[in-house]
Amino acid sequence: MGSSWDDLTLAFSHTSMFPFFDIAHYLVSVMAMKRQPGAVAVARKNPVSSWFTAMLHCFGGGILSCLLLAEPPLTFLTNHTNVLLASSVWYITFFCPCDLVSQAYSFLPVQLLAAAMKEVTRTWKIVGGVTHANSYFKNGWIVMIAIGWARGAGGAILTKFEQLVKGDWKPGGDEWLKMSYPSKLTLMGSVIFTFQHTNHLAISEHNLMFFYTVFLVTTKITMMMTETSSMTVAPFEDTLSRVLFGWQKQFSWCETKASYNGTGSSASKSTADASENVKKKHTKKTE
Amino acid sequence: MDLLSALSLGELALSFSRVPLFPVFDLSYFIVSLLYLKYEPGAVELSRRHPAASWLCAMLHCFGSYILADLLLGEPVIDYFSNSSSVLLASAVWYLTFFCPLDLFYKCVSFLPVKLVFVAMKEVVRVRKIAVGIHHAHHHYHHGWFIMIATGWVKGSGVALMANFEQLLRGVWKPETNEILHMSFPSKASLYGAVLFTLQQTRWLPMSRATLIFLFTMFMVSCKVFLTATHSHGSPFDVLEGYVCPMLFGTGWAGDHHHDNHGGLHAGGPGPQHCPPSTKSKEELVEGSRKKKTKKAD
Repeated sequence: MGSSWDDLTLAFSHTSMFPFFDIAHYLVSVMAMKRQPGAVAVARKNPVSSWFTAMLHCFGGGILSCLLLAEPPLTFLTNHTNVLLASSVWYITFFCPCDLVSQAYSFLPVQLLAAAMKEVTRTWKIVGGVTHANSYFKNGWIVMIAIGWARGAGGAILTKFEQLVKGDWKPGGDEWLKMSYPSKLTLMGSVIFTFQHTNHLAISEHNLMFFYTVFLVTTKITMMMTETSSMTVAPFEDTLSRVLFGWQKQFSWCETKASYNGTGSSASKSTADASENVKKKHTKKTE
Repeated sequence: MDLLSALSLGELALSFSRVPLFPVFDLSYFIVSLLYLKYEPGAVELSRRHPAASWLCAMLHCFGSYILADLLLGEPVIDYFSNSSSVLLASAVWYLTFFCPLDLFYKCVSFLPVKLVFVAMKEVVRVRKIAVGIHHAHHHYHHGWFIMIATGWVKGSGVALMANFEQLLRGVWKPETNEILHMSFPSKASLYGAVLFTLQQTRWLPMSRATLIFLFTMFMVSCKVFLTATHSHGSPFDVLEGYVCPMLFGTGWAGDHHHDNHGGLHAGGPGPQHCPPSTKSKEELVEGSRKKKTKKAD
């Protein structure tokens, strides 16, 4: 029983990403790009720029990890087949007659399948990143976490930066600072895989890959079905931030309560209170 | 007698240049850097709402010089993060600075005499970083003078040169505020120090490295401690620049400079008692509001 389970997970961890899973990843990435306002018009007017953006969406994580490790950031171009594959996916999503691909993609089961397959590639990327960083820095576990995270979720940062350079987006609000749900999960996975790699976690790599992938896929699919944007981490995160970062807030909260007759409230306290109110609202919603 | 004193000075300098930096001096470097981060408007709110972004900002403040130098020399940008103990130390300081109950740590550290000690120790680290940076660049490019100067400068001035990116991380995007446009005293001093150390490295300056480190550290420590103690953000170079720059760059320079200073005190002629640049008033404002806050909290 045990050996057959091992065989199964081992075989799973040896699955090649190349044709199908990669296509799913490119499809989901390019579709996400197409949903952005103005992307279709840009593709008609200036195909080269649109192609470049698509490549950033598809290979962003790899480029960011290359930048961090001082490797040539254009390494991804040497992988001709993958670039051609991504380019053809970009071409058919934007220029297919009658917009067939988009219509097919809007069918929910197709979307679910593609998203699930994309999440599988994420695990592989994190593992690849952690292993690669380990070959550079033997004991640099912070570097390993960072590279794993950059490979898995760093594309978002690069695309934001590209938009900044193009002038489409100005960093005024919070969206730059807010980590999205996938990037939080990727960070968590990166930490777990790093611990596994430095032998602090007594579990074999293929088992861990299997469990993490199953976790990613199920959360992604339930999120898409129920159309919520953050479900599993929010309560956990809330308690953690209360434990770690809540000291001062509690104290200042007590102080404002004590001196409630209005004279001693400063700006920082009121903002702290406001953020606490927001937090409370969030927890109510999740409950 | 002269020989003896020279010998002892040389020995003193040599032993001074061999003091290990890691726990104590690095700690004070992190403390002072993060104090400056906390002075920035909006940093405290940021740490409440987005601890991850605030931590990344703090890491840039502590390790910005290494990151920039690695970027310039084509080495892995996150090279320095493989020093787990330094990163953990900096993270601990960040946590204490921003989240200590009752703000105790911040109040202790920003108490002026304590702060002066830390500032002095920070300057020791800065000078050592410049020297190491130039040595490192010399190792890569034996005759690249400009590369040596650039690396030393970057190592000395640290996060100030990448302030725009650091602000971007905090959600502020002001490309018009740029360190190169309004150089502060530490950046200028780092630049001059980098030139001196480059001259020493290429043997144009008849002086041993240890002695130069010792002398330059003394200069930096005394200047910076004096400036911090008097809450002034002018620089001792103003006097020199007041004479040299009009000569080199014509009279237009002085007018421009005064324009930058929001119309300094005296409109005509570059006086030797230069009024401190506009950064002073801003930082004083910030500090003033901070004091008010602490008073209120008291």
